Amino acid sequence: MSRQFAPYPFEATRHAARMPPLEHGDEAQHHAVVVVGAGPVGFCTAIGLAQQGVPVVLLEADESVCFGSRAICISRRSLQILQRLGALPGFMRHGLPWTGGRSFYRGEQVLHFTMPQDANQKLPPMLNLAQYRIEQILLERAQELSDLIDIRWQTRVTSLQARDDGVDLIVRTPTGAYRMHTDWLVAADGGRSTVREALGLKLQGTSYEGRYVIVDIRMKSARPTERPAYFDPPCNPGSTVLVHKQPDDVWRIDYQLREGEDPEEAVLPHNVLPRVQSLLDMMGETADWAPIWTGLYKANALTLDRYHHGHVLLAGDAAHLVPIFGVRGANSGIDDADNLAWKLALVARGAASPQLLASYSHERVAAAHENLAHGRKSTEFMAPPDFAFELMRTAVLGLAGRHPGLRPLINPRQTSAICYRDSPLNAWPERSAAFAAGPVPGQVLPECPLTLADGSEGHITDLLRGGFTALWFTDTGPVPETLQAWARLWNHRGARCTICTLARAGGAHADAVDHTGRLFDLYGAQSGSLLLVRPDGHVLARWLDVPLPVALAEAGTAMQALLQPEDVG
Amino acid sequence: MSDDELDAVYTHLCQALGAQGEAQAPLMLARLALLLIDKLGDAPAAHALIEAAAQDLRPPAAD
Repeated sequence: MSRQFAPYPFEATRHAARMPPLEHGDEAQHHAVVVVGAGPVGFCTAIGLAQQGVPVVLLEADESVCFGSRAICISRRSLQILQRLGALPGFMRHGLPWTGGRSFYRGEQVLHFTMPQDANQKLPPMLNLAQYRIEQILLERAQELSDLIDIRWQTRVTSLQARDDGVDLIVRTPTGAYRMHTDWLVAADGGRSTVREALGLKLQGTSYEGRYVIVDIRMKSARPTERPAYFDPPCNPGSTVLVHKQPDDVWRIDYQLREGEDPEEAVLPHNVLPRVQSLLDMMGETADWAPIWTGLYKANALTLDRYHHGHVLLAGDAAHLVPIFGVRGANSGIDDADNLAWKLALVARGAASPQLLASYSHERVAAAHENLAHGRKSTEFMAPPDFAFELMRTAVLGLAGRHPGLRPLINPRQTSAICYRDSPLNAWPERSAAFAAGPVPGQVLPECPLTLADGSEGHITDLLRGGFTALWFTDTGPVPETLQAWARLWNHRGARCTICTLARAGGAHADAVDHTGRLFDLYGAQSGSLLLVRPDGHVLARWLDVPLPVALAEAGTAMQALLQPEDVG
Repeated sequence: MSDDELDAVYTHLCQALGAQGEAQAPLMLARLALLLIDKLGDAPAAHALIEAAAQDLRPPAAD
């Protein structure tokens, strides 16, 4: 079969390399933060820092955003983060939202799954979007912050020297090499991280043998955006095939190689194209199509045991590699960036002790272990590592059609928001225990519709503006002066803090009104309850019915412990 | 049994089978079936489950 390859419906702009002013081969300017890698994680980190007023240099080895089929699914949690980064409109404009999928075994539907979706949600549980577009939207957002984000294309780190108070880097561009000095270095340079290598750090965990071929094709089809998975399909017996609809008539197809197939041979067009054709025949797709790109994938479940090494912080694939199944790769990296940016900003601005960064590693390593546990289970099902997993999977798939109790075993365990249950930052657990419902310290805010102060419809996540947020639940109205004074105190100390009053329906003088009447129950709150929320939207502490002066004193201790852990002991 | 518990039991069984090796796996599954039947203590239900397990049983795909 011969078929002409088509281009992606996207043309990447090429960016020239640029040399900064040098003194004897050293860049004259000393930097607060250098981020290595302008992928989704590097961009999100840089934007997050810039929004907190910290200047960033972003180094990218390539001359443009990425090419090929990489991350394609953005989770609701990531969309919430992207909203705070000011990039949501681009994602919603370009992406395809979806809520569920179907699994088939030999032509029979054995599972129809849906991801959590209810009337409280603002954002879809999942959005399909190619990584080149993700990076392009983030690039445009970073360019809006160009007074603080200095993007240097075609600039590759060749070596680095960690010092006690910073990092020296040697970088190479097509027009020459130079040395840079930075207080903090963020490695967001991907699975083959140069920075990780230079530090001599090794990812630990499991590498799986099973291989998948990834194919992007262009095809017009009215088929809805959902994720079909075909196990042992008539078109490709013994294999597993996943299909994802993407914007602009691009379809991403992932299929498992059979045992004994030579991967290098299998990925060649004369082997790939007939399999795609037989898949499309089986799906009943009759439109003309063209291949765009093919690649190979092998699942890894690996992580470093620490992401914080002196003045170097590792994030995304540089820190951990999670299997593709369950879409935790880019999403966990965006979560890393969101966790890191506010902490590093507080440290860089001198408002927090560098010890705060230890919590980045603590929380995100724990998150990686949770993501890896799910990823391993998904991989064991999607690419069975031995005869036993293979045999049991055949049994589950054959029975699930008639026996609904077994269907959860086929569920793809899509990514969901992680709770930092054991975070050292979580404060006042004994106060939290008084609540019968709602988010515990370490958990993200459950979404809820609200009427905002200007009368517009919004959601509780719209109230998070990048700093700390104190949510004050009230029957009626105005913010007590003591609460405002508390926020002023912490603003003065460099930790941006906003008070938001949440009033029951009919309440006046509030930042938001609970017009659906669902908010207080969802949060287990009553009039007088207080929630202290971190800049990344995770709850720090909560007080149900504690007198406000006492709650504020305790909230102050929590802030102090977060910013200057050594002073609290 | 929650979904997560079912999942953990499934993985445990896969790992235990894998540890026994392919030749011993049918015997181990037979022993497990007998233990579950004993635990079930319900003959009509056991007969029905044996029929359900045999229903539509097809050979795995030829690779």
